[in-house]
Amino acid sequence: MAPSAPSINSTMSSRMATARPSSYRHKSEKRGMTYNIMLVGQAGLGRRTFLNTLCERAVIASPDAPNPETANVADPMKFDTYEVAMEEEGTRISLTVIDTPGFGDGLDNTSCFKQLQDYIEAQFDEVLVEESRVKRNRRYRDHRIHVLVYFIAPTGHSLRELDIELIRRLGEYVNIIPVIGRADSFTVEELDAFRANVMRDIVYYKLPVYNFCWDETDSEALVENREIMDHIPFSVVTCDEVFDNEYGSVRIRRYPWGTIEIDDEAQCDFALLRYILLNSHIADLINYTEDMLYENYRTKKLEVGGYGENDEEEDDDEEDQALGAAKKQE
Amino acid sequence: MSATEASANPQATAGGIGIANLPNQLHKIVTKKGTNFSLMVVGESGTGKTTFINTLLTTELIEPLDDATRRKKQLDKTVDINIHKAELEEKMFSVKLNVVDTPGFGDYVDNNDCWLPVVDFIENQYEQYLRQEQQPVRKGIVDMRVHACLYFIRPNGHTLKPLDVRAMKAIGARVNLIPVIAKADTLSPTALRQFKKRVMDVIDAQSIRIYQPPVESDDGNSEERNREIISAVPFAIIGSTLEVKTEDGRRVKGRQYPWGVAEVENDQHCDFRKLRSLLIRTHMLDLISTTEESHYDKYRTTQMKTRKFGEPKPKKSENKKFREEEEALRKRFTEKVKLEENRFRQWEQKLIAERDRLNKDLEQEHNLVKQLESEIEAISNAGSPNNKFFRK
Repeated sequence: MAPSAPSINSTMSSRMATARPSSYRHKSEKRGMTYNIMLVGQAGLGRRTFLNTLCERAVIASPDAPNPETANVADPMKFDTYEVAMEEEGTRISLTVIDTPGFGDGLDNTSCFKQLQDYIEAQFDEVLVEESRVKRNRRYRDHRIHVLVYFIAPTGHSLRELDIELIRRLGEYVNIIPVIGRADSFTVEELDAFRANVMRDIVYYKLPVYNFCWDETDSEALVENREIMDHIPFSVVTCDEVFDNEYGSVRIRRYPWGTIEIDDEAQCDFALLRYILLNSHIADLINYTEDMLYENYRTKKLEVGGYGENDEEEDDDEEDQALGAAKKQE
Repeated sequence: MSATEASANPQATAGGIGIANLPNQLHKIVTKKGTNFSLMVVGESGTGKTTFINTLLTTELIEPLDDATRRKKQLDKTVDINIHKAELEEKMFSVKLNVVDTPGFGDYVDNNDCWLPVVDFIENQYEQYLRQEQQPVRKGIVDMRVHACLYFIRPNGHTLKPLDVRAMKAIGARVNLIPVIAKADTLSPTALRQFKKRVMDVIDAQSIRIYQPPVESDDGNSEERNREIISAVPFAIIGSTLEVKTEDGRRVKGRQYPWGVAEVENDQHCDFRKLRSLLIRTHMLDLISTTEESHYDKYRTTQMKTRKFGEPKPKKSENKKFREEEEALRKRFTEKVKLEENRFRQWEQKLIAERDRLNKDLEQEHNLVKQLESEIEAISNAGSPNNKFFRK
């Protein structure tokens, strides 16, 4: 079902086709682009349903009923990987989604950040090793996380310590896109107020969320990207059932007092987010990960390792991101 | 008084002396005295506690936080206890209401022991009451014992979190605990039913004690209503102080979404009316009396077994975070003391050196003086025998 996204025009997809080739992606384009998304958020914010709705099929099954006997002990955080082959507007995408159940669900969640950081760094390290091989593996698959979708709880106030800490610690390793899970708990006014509060917090704490406007060379895309940034954090409502009417199938969520259409842009940002994640911004996200985040990591790692690199890469991509958010605020 | 005398009295009702009039007298007394009711709300921030209280009392008792206070609390890592007092009056009957709010509960990365301030507060109120009861003058006792604690569960659609389990266990053992599903308008009806069942399963499996209202009542209608109320636990609520218009033109208290209006007072949408009934209309007295007779009494018994009459309560070890601060302060204090001692010691050394120097000078002078003295003596001695010398 084609998502309706009137504000994004088709230059987005053409940009994707002419994305800068790199030796890895060239080969893997034959198999489809390798694209890795990580979903992070507390239980009950809709990560699983989001994935299923995103891929338009049940990728993750509903979990078994939880055991009441063990409800007083939190399950440790784990990394569940799901591979989905998708085709979006003619391009094959070899999508890998990593889910992180158990994040933030325990009494003391301080260790979750380190686990996430270690996981992401491990993927960078793999690439580092692979790059330095004399004989490179032709079938090498890139597991670097290209985007982290972080689910914020709809408290109605602003960010919590968990949210702030996560973005602070992981922003330099991965592109973080904050979304509001279960956004149907907000009325329109409340959603606007919450968004404003979250953006104020992001600016105040200088949180490194993904700056859509990082590439300032393409002025057309810049205008669209600034519009997109107005929607941060994206409001997400997930689909319960599919309802067939005369126009086709409509994804809905049904309440005694009304029905939400998931793909209606006036009601939530799901369609926009889906378009960004799977269509318009794949190239941007991958490029930023490879050219900025990974390179920064590589430089730091090699400096520490004593290879004596004197040249310091610009470490101000984080500043760029915070600045981008501040600019948007003005 | 024998039955024959009673029946001879023309004013008495059939077979009575007028004892049946006692409830009316009691009614007058209670109406005049009013009553005192303390309600506590516990739950993570953003679960709608403030809105619920304001909806329940149809008045803005608790104001929403402003930006500055909220920002201070974001990374604060502590749980506060805020008490809001109000006096409600309806048809000549007044209630002194205390609402206890707990901002910061469950809001941080590390939420270990975050229920301790709550539990401490509850026990402190029992303690205060116990001490006041033991005073010689008992007039004007301030009773802040918590009569009901509403625990707001975030509707994550799965089950209770470990934090909820641990906190509810600790709280439910000491006070009437009523679990409430917050912001219930984010769950579809099926999901809500399933969530309620799962929550109750966990409550049973983990032996969490929650408030059980009595079912039996004088008339059949209220029994039916009581049963309905009990079966709705945990209560799914929606809170709103705003009035909105529904599609069919009614003006109701509710939340206006682009896709419809969720009504607060509609039993199909949420259990607000049942909870209000439980808290105020039908079971307020039971909440008060179970607190006094059962929870407070339990506390009193355990305390009196171990403490003598009139003795103050031994202080428990405090919150871990405060202990760390205490340690830091103590270290700074000892360091400062050491610094000062060093300074004094050096001063002492200097003084001693000075003293020695002065003493030496003194000695020198003294020696000089002695020398001069001996010279004088020598001269004066030589002077007298010298006369003989000179005469020659």
